[in-house]
Formats: sequence, structure tokens, C-alpha cells
Amino acid sequence: MSVTYNFGFMDEHAKKEVRRSILKAISIPGYQVPYSSREMPMGRGFGTGGLQITLSLIGADETLKVIDQGSDDSVNAVNLRQFVELTCPGVNTTTHLNEATLIQSRHRIPEVPLTPNQTLVLQVPYPDPLVVVEPSEDKRKVMHGEADYARLLVKLYEDIVKFDEITISHRYPTRINGHYVIDPSPIPRWDVPKLHNSPALILFGAGREKKIYAVPPHTKAEPLAFDDVPFRVESFNDAQGNRRPCERCGATDSFLDEYINEDGSKRYQCSDSDYCDTVLAETKEAANA
Amino acid sequence: MSNLATAIPTIWQPHTQQHAYRQLMQAFANPGQIEALSEDALLLTLATLLDGATSIADVHGLISALDLARLETANEPAETAHFVLADGAQAPVFTPSLGTLESPEGGATLLLTVTAFNDGASYTLSGPGVDGARNVTLQGLNPAWLDSRESWNAAFPMGVDIVLLAGKQVMALPRTTRIKGA
Repeated sequence: MSVTYNFGFMDEHAKKEVRRSILKAISIPGYQVPYSSREMPMGRGFGTGGLQITLSLIGADETLKVIDQGSDDSVNAVNLRQFVELTCPGVNTTTHLNEATLIQSRHRIPEVPLTPNQTLVLQVPYPDPLVVVEPSEDKRKVMHGEADYARLLVKLYEDIVKFDEITISHRYPTRINGHYVIDPSPIPRWDVPKLHNSPALILFGAGREKKIYAVPPHTKAEPLAFDDVPFRVESFNDAQGNRRPCERCGATDSFLDEYINEDGSKRYQCSDSDYCDTVLAETKEAANA
Repeated sequence: MSNLATAIPTIWQPHTQQHAYRQLMQAFANPGQIEALSEDALLLTLATLLDGATSIADVHGLISALDLARLETANEPAETAHFVLADGAQAPVFTPSLGTLESPEGGATLLLTVTAFNDGASYTLSGPGVDGARNVTLQGLNPAWLDSRESWNAAFPMGVDIVLLAGKQVMALPRTTRIKGA
């Protein structure tokens, strides 16, 4: 017996609810809209929030790119891409950013700026930045409504007292349109400035926590910081102060992953595999010309 | 199954609604941008967004009883409905749901019919989704809607989000959009 799924696996009512939630998320930038996150045929925590957004948006004329920590070929990206291919007949998938109309990503924003016709969907494990300072969701909702982030700023200040620096490496709290502070998902600091005045719509889906939020295009996104301790992104300089290049493609303008070789030495390579491939191809072309 | 699918008018088919939704999403993400839908914007927008989990107030009786039945949605007064459908030429005589400080998504979505987007009173929009400023012209919208909107949206994050419908075209004005008259 063959079983046919509805296009996009989810039923149309479930999609409609996600779609309505997205419109409210866009209208109230940074606000976490609650929705009834459905059971998906994979465990919560494996990107079900992002997947439900993707499946609610996707149409037969779509070209989808799925990224896991910058790579199209690691396990989460491969699984989600295959699931969409299985349940959305006619949909194209790609690894090239410039071909994609819809991009679902886990913990990275691509190096190359998005275009207005693209939509980025980010998978979110912990949507609420206030959870570290306030355990009650009812109280957090009031704090968000009042844009009261004093306790979050105290937390950042404590970091400065202890370490002379805000030590948050990823999930950096970011204020959207001067009101709501979001957890921008576990993207590195490197990617946070890409939220500001983005040409493309960015959607965030938290499946386990049942929340959807958005950063519309051309919207202010400011990482929380202090006047005398400004926000800064990761440094990829070596001990001599020189910018490390990617060992594979030679790029000096990308976010690098650190690998440990068998002999204990370190190796640095682009995290965004599509960007690395593109730079490598361009370098080869230039060498052959 | 394919025979059944072709018997249903396209407006009620999932593929049509998916496509229309993406255009509506683009409209919300880019306030003031005109999106041309494939069918009548009023009915297609309703068919795309509404179902049994929502409620509607059809203030000026713009949808037929048959279409209302097909939407499988609940009728509610304009003061409490999730979606309020009204003729934009007539001034509002109600205060829609504005949501609460904790749950601002409870603010209503107003669907207003207007005559056209290529003529009439001109306005300048700014805010999230607008790169700098965007000029729009609206024909057939009673200015009282924009005055009321201003007071409804005075206490962000509470407020209403507006979708304007003209023939097959739609334009969205989320609560964050600032509107300046000519």
C-alpha cells in the first residue's frame, strides 16, 4: 500500500495557522508569536520550528537551500532537504545561494547578502532572551511588552565586571526596531550585523517552544551593548595580528571554523561551504585566465 | 482525487492559496508595495487566511452567504473579531480588538476595500520593511480610517494591521508603518 502525504506534509489548517502567525510576527517585529507547533516526524530540537515555517511557505515553483552550521552537507541539512524533497513533489533544491528563493538555516546566515526575493528561515532552540533572568513566562511577556530589558543589561554588565568583555559567543541578544529584544538563534556574533537593515525577510521558528518571530527587511537590529563597551564580532587574527585566511579557498572575509589536526595543530576553514566553493572556483578561473 | 481537485474553484485550492500567501507575506514585509494576486483580492485573501480557528466581522456585508459558509469561520462583532472586513470608503464606527501588552498578536487584521492604488490621495510611508520612504496613492479610502488607525496604534505593541484590497491588488499597512499625508 502506498501512502501519499499532503503537499508539504502538514495539513492545510496547520499551514494556515503558521501563515497567520508569520503575518503577526512581521507586523510586530521581534515579538514571539505563539503557535500550536505540530508533531513532525522527527524529534523536537531537530529544526521542527524552521521546518514548519518552510513547509507552510513552500510552493511547487520554489528552490530551497538548507544549511546546517554553514554547510549543505552535514546531517541536519541533508535530512531536512530530503524530507522536503519527499513531501513536496516538484520543489527544486540547491546548494547555491543565488539560485535559492527560500533558505532554511541552522545557526548561520550566509556570507553573501540575501536579495529582496529571498526569505531566510532560521531554526531556533531557545527563543526568549529573558529566560536567563526571569523564569516565569507570564512575567517575561510583560517585560517584553514594556521593553523592560534592565535585568538583561545587568547580566551583560556582570560579564564586563568579571571578564572585561561581554562573553556571549552566539545567541547574542539583539533589539529589533527599538523595542523587542530577540534571541537571534545560535548564530555567531559575526552574523548579527546581517540582521540590521537586511534586504530580505528573516523568520525564526522555535518548534519545541512553539514560537515564531520575524525581522522584516530594512528594520533596525541593534545588538545590546554599552556606549563604552561596543559590540564586536569574532576576531580571526593570529598571534601576529594578521587576519587568518581560509586554508581551502584563501578568503579573508568569512567566518572561519577551527579544526584540530591529528598532530594537535589548528586549521581554519570557511564555515559557509557554498561561499568557500564559490571563492575557490573564482580563484581557479582567475588562475586559468 | 485529481478530478475532485479540478472541480473545486481555483480560489479554494491549496496551491492558489500558497501562492497568494507568499504575495501577502511580501506585502506585509514591504508595506505599501502593491502585490497583484491571481484572483479577486477580497475573496482570495479571506480564503488564504481564514478557517475554523478564526472569526470575522463583515461590517458592510461584502461577502455572500455561500462564500462565508465555505470559509467555515465564525461571525463575530467588529469589536472582537480577528478579521474585520469593511468598505474603506465608509468611516469606521467601531473600535477593533487591539490585543494586549502581553499578547499584541490579538490585535485585529482589518481588510478594507478601496477603489485603486494608482490614483487618489498620496501618502508617504516609513518604518520597518520600508527602505527610507515609499510613496503610495490610495483612492477610495476614507481618511477617517487613517485617523482612527493612528489612535488605535498609539500604544505599540498593541494595534491593528491593515490590508487594503483593490480589485486583484493588495497592499498591507502593518501597525509599525508610519503614514504621512501629502
